[in-house]
Amino acid sequence: MRRFVVSCAATAMLVATAARAEEPWAERVIGAHIDQSTLSGTLDAEALEVLRDAGERLFVGRFTEADGVGRPMATQAIVPTKRKRPPAETFVRSAGLDAGSCAACHNQPVDGGAGDFVTNVFTSEGFESADFDSLDPQFSNERGTNHLMGAGLIELLAREMTADLQAVRAMALKVARESGQPVTQALETKGVNFGSITAGPDGLVDISGIEGVDADLVLRPFSQKGVMTSLRQFTVNALNHHHGMQAVERFGARWTGEADFDGDGKANEISDGDVSAMVAWQAGLEPPVRMQPQQPAWRDASARGEDVFADLGCGECHIPALPLASLKFADPGPLDMAGTLREGELAEVIYDLELLEWAASLPRNEKGEVLVPLFGDLKRHVIADQEVAKLGNELLAQRFVERNVFMTAELWGIGSTDPYGHRNDVTSLDGIIRAHGGEGRAAREAYIAAAERERSDLIAFLKTLVIEQ
Amino acid sequence: MKLIVATTVLLAFGASSAGAGEAPAADVPLMHEEALAAGIDHAYRGPWEYFVGGGAAALDCNGDRLPDLFIAGGEERAQLYVNRSATGGALRFEPKDAGIAERDLKKVLGAYPFDVDNDGVKDLVVIRLGENLILKGGPECTFRKMNEAYAFDGRKAWTAAFAASWEEGQTFPTLAFGNYVDRAAPGSPWGTCDDNDLYRPSAAAEPDYSGWQPLSPGFCALSMLFTDWNRSGEPALRITNDRHYYRGGEEQLWKVTPGSAPRLYTRADGWQHLTIWGMGIAEGDLEGDGYPEYALTSMGDTKLQVLDREADEESPIYEDVAFDRGATAHKPYAGGDLKPSTGWHAEFADFNNDGALDLFIAKGNVEQMEDFASVDPDNLLIGGWDGKFTEAGHLAGIALPTKGRGAVVTDFNMDGRLDLLVVNREQPASLFRNLGAKSGDGARVAGNFVAIELHQDGANPDAVGALISVKSGTRTFNRTVQVGGGHASGHAGFVHVGIGTAERAQIRIKWPDGDWSPPYRVFGNNFVRIERGSDAARYWYPPESDAWQAAAKE
Repeated sequence: MRRFVVSCAATAMLVATAARAEEPWAERVIGAHIDQSTLSGTLDAEALEVLRDAGERLFVGRFTEADGVGRPMATQAIVPTKRKRPPAETFVRSAGLDAGSCAACHNQPVDGGAGDFVTNVFTSEGFESADFDSLDPQFSNERGTNHLMGAGLIELLAREMTADLQAVRAMALKVARESGQPVTQALETKGVNFGSITAGPDGLVDISGIEGVDADLVLRPFSQKGVMTSLRQFTVNALNHHHGMQAVERFGARWTGEADFDGDGKANEISDGDVSAMVAWQAGLEPPVRMQPQQPAWRDASARGEDVFADLGCGECHIPALPLASLKFADPGPLDMAGTLREGELAEVIYDLELLEWAASLPRNEKGEVLVPLFGDLKRHVIADQEVAKLGNELLAQRFVERNVFMTAELWGIGSTDPYGHRNDVTSLDGIIRAHGGEGRAAREAYIAAAERERSDLIAFLKTLVIEQ
Repeated sequence: MKLIVATTVLLAFGASSAGAGEAPAADVPLMHEEALAAGIDHAYRGPWEYFVGGGAAALDCNGDRLPDLFIAGGEERAQLYVNRSATGGALRFEPKDAGIAERDLKKVLGAYPFDVDNDGVKDLVVIRLGENLILKGGPECTFRKMNEAYAFDGRKAWTAAFAASWEEGQTFPTLAFGNYVDRAAPGSPWGTCDDNDLYRPSAAAEPDYSGWQPLSPGFCALSMLFTDWNRSGEPALRITNDRHYYRGGEEQLWKVTPGSAPRLYTRADGWQHLTIWGMGIAEGDLEGDGYPEYALTSMGDTKLQVLDREADEESPIYEDVAFDRGATAHKPYAGGDLKPSTGWHAEFADFNNDGALDLFIAKGNVEQMEDFASVDPDNLLIGGWDGKFTEAGHLAGIALPTKGRGAVVTDFNMDGRLDLLVVNREQPASLFRNLGAKSGDGARVAGNFVAIELHQDGANPDAVGALISVKSGTRTFNRTVQVGGGHASGHAGFVHVGIGTAERAQIRIKWPDGDWSPPYRVFGNNFVRIERGSDAARYWYPPESDAWQAAAKE
C-alpha cells in the first residue's frame, strides 16, 4: 500500500479516517467514517491521493461484524428489500455474502484487477428468490469478476456518449415539434452507432430502432451485461451484495425509514464519504497498457497481430480507442438515479484524473482528446446464435437485457485476466474467440479461416494488452 | 405574496405548539406557492350555496400534454387557464376564453375532465348550482355545450359531486351526479337532501343521456366515486354525505350492475352505518394488494378505511385505521387553533417519489362555524415505510391560512414531481410548485418516478377504470384511472407513480374489461404511453425549451 505525505488540509479532510483504528489490532476496517462534507470542488493532487488512499483501504480491507458485515434481514437486491427471516448462514457462496473484501475477488494481477473462476459471482435480482442456494442457472447468472483498471475513463466515456445520444434525441424532438413532421435520427457517438430513433411532433419517440443501449439512452458501462451506470452505483450495490455493508445513500433512513435496514445491529454502515473514497480509488486506477515484449519474436508477432485484429473485423466492436474530451470525474455523476448519490445532493466534487501520474502517458488526438485504448465500444451485442451458443448460456435476462446479449468486453488488460468469457470458464484466447456467435460470428469465422500464423499473431497481440504490476 | 409568505412563517412557527409531530423520516417536498406569479388570480366566491364546491379540473386541452386548468368561481366566472410552464421551471398559466357562454361559466362548483365521446379530446363535465353541463373539447382549448345534442338534462339541482364509469359493453360512460340540499323543499335545508342522478347512455352511436334515473335516497352528497372495491371488475358507486343536513342518512355504496337498476348495499351485505360530515373521497392502494383503501374527509376526524379481508368477498366491511396510521388530521397542526378541522378535497399521491402514497387534504372552515377551527391549514401527510402518516404541511410550505376546498394534484411542469393547486373559498387559489425534497434552505432531487398515459382504441380511449400496476422488486404500486372523488375536482392525463430507489419498473395494465396486458419494461424518471395491444411502452419527452413552447403556441 502506498504511503503519502499529506498536507494539513488533506489530513483534516480525512481526520476521521486517520484515527480509524484506535488499536493496531482492532478487528475492523472502518474506525470512523470519511466526512463527505469536507470534500468540495476539484480536489488537488494531494487531497485526491489522500481520498484514494482511504478508498483503497476500504477496497482491500476485510470487513468484520464491527464494521457492519452481514445483512440478516436484507437481501442482495439493488433496491432495498427485506428478508422475511434471516438466512441460516451469514456467508453463502451463491446468494452472498460471498467475500470479505472487494479485493478478495478483484486482485488479478493487482488490487482492482479481475478474478479467477473461483471468484465468480451469482447475480439474481434478489427479490422473490433471494435465498437460492443452488448454482443451477435457473436461479442466477454466474459471472466472472471484471477488472476495474481504467474504470474512471470508462465511466467518463459513457457519460460523454450518453450526453451525445440524448442530445440527438433532444434535437430530433425539437425539429419534429417545430416542423410538425416525424424526424428520424441516427444515434451515433464517438464513431459508435446505436441505431436510430424517430421523434414525433407530439413528443412521442419511436425507440424500436435503438441498438445496444437502453431505451433511455443512458449508456451503462459496468458489469458484463452493461447494466450498471456508475462506479458509485456499482460500489453501493456490491457492498450490500457481497459484504452486507449498506451505504446510507441507499439503505439509510431517507429511503428505508431505518438506519439499520439489514438488521445486523450496526447503523449507517457506509457513509457517503466512504463511498466517495472507494469511487475515487477505482476511478483513478491506472488503465491497462500495451506492453512491449522483450522477445523480438513476440514483438514482431504482436505487430502483425494488430493488423490481423483489424483485418478479421475484431475492431468493429473491440474498437481500439475512443476519444475522451475531459478527464474531470465528477462524483456523483450526472446519470445516477435515486438511491445512488446524485448531482445536487451535495457539493460538487471532481476528481481530476489528469492529476494522476499515468494520465500523461495516454495518447491524444489532434483535438487534445485522450484516446482511451479500451478495445471496446461500450455497446451491447447479441453474442450467441444457434450454432455457436457457448456465450448464450444464461437463462435469466438481467435488468431488461436479454440472456444472450452482453456488452462488448473491453480487451485492455486481457493479457492479465484469464480465464475469459462472462462466466470466466474459457481458458484460452483462442477458445473465447471461437465462442463468438451472433454479431461476433463473422469475425469468429474469419479467425477460424485464417492461417494458423495469423491466429497466432493475433494471440500474440492480445497478450500484450496487460495490466501493469 | 409577501403577506402570504409572512403568514406561512407564522403558521409554521406555531406548528410546534399545535400538534405537528416529528418530521417524517422520508423526504418532505418543498412546495413553493406561486399562483400570482404564475398568472392565476382566481377565487371561489359566493353566498352559502358556495360554502361547498370550489373545484378545478386539470386536462390537456391543446394537445401538448401539459395539464391546463379549469377553475370554478362560484357566483363569479369559472376560468380556463392554459399551461405555459417551462419544463421543470416556474409555473405559468394564461387565462383563455374557452368559448363557453357567460351564464354557463357562473354558478360553477366544480368540474371533471375526461373523454366523454371517445374522440380523443378531453371534455368537461361541469357541476353547478343549477344546470350541469357536458362541454365537448374542441381545438385549442375551446368547448361546446352538448346538453341538447346528448339529450342530457342537466336539471337544476345543487350539484357538488360527480363520477363517471364505462359500464361493461357500453360505448359511452355512465354519469353520476351527487346533489346537495334541495333548496325548494319545505323546511330546507334541514332534512331536505336531494336525490342523486344517474345517467346511463343508450346504445346509440352518439352519446344519448336521455336515460336519467334518480338515485334515491340522497343524503347530501359532497363526493362520489366509481370504485372496484372488491376487485370484482364491476365498479360500485361510493358516496360520501354531509350529515349536517340529512336525517337518517349515512354513507352510501351503490351496487351498479350493468343492465340492472342500482341498489344500495345494506346491513345485510355488511355495509356499516357511518355518519360523518363527508366532504371528499380519496382512493389509494396503500397495501399494494390491489384492494383500494379510502380516505373520507369530514369535520373532525378523517376516516381511513381498509377492507376487512376476512369478510365475504361480496361484503363491503371496512375498518377505520386512521388513528393507527396517524391520518386522522382532526385538528390544525399549525396556527394554534385547537378546534376540530374541516376537511374537503382528499387525494392520495406520492409527492416525494419515495414509493409510498402520501395524503393531501384541503382544509378550511365552512364559513364562520365557531365550533371548528377558523385557521385550518391544508394537510400533507407523508406516508412512511411503516404504513403510518406524518404531518409535513408546515414543513412543505403549504400551511396557509386559507379556506381550502377543491384541489388538483398533478405535475404541471413535467419535471416528475407533483405540484398542487388548491381552490380557496373567498381567497385566491394557491398554486404550489414542487421543488423537490426539502434540504436545508433549498431542495434536492427526490425519488424516481414513472408517469403513465393509457390508450385503447374505440370506446373509453383513456381507459377509465383501468388498474395500473407498477412493480419494482417486491413492491407493487397500484393506481386506478378514475373520474370522480376528491371535492369537485379531478384531473386527466399522465398517472404519476413514485418508485423510490428503483431505476426501472415493470408495468402491467388491467384494462377496464378485465384483460391484463403483458408487462411493459420502463426506465424510471420517464413519461410513457401504453397503447393497448402494443409490444412496448412509448416514451414521451416534454419540450426542453421554454422558447419553443412560447413559439409553438403563438
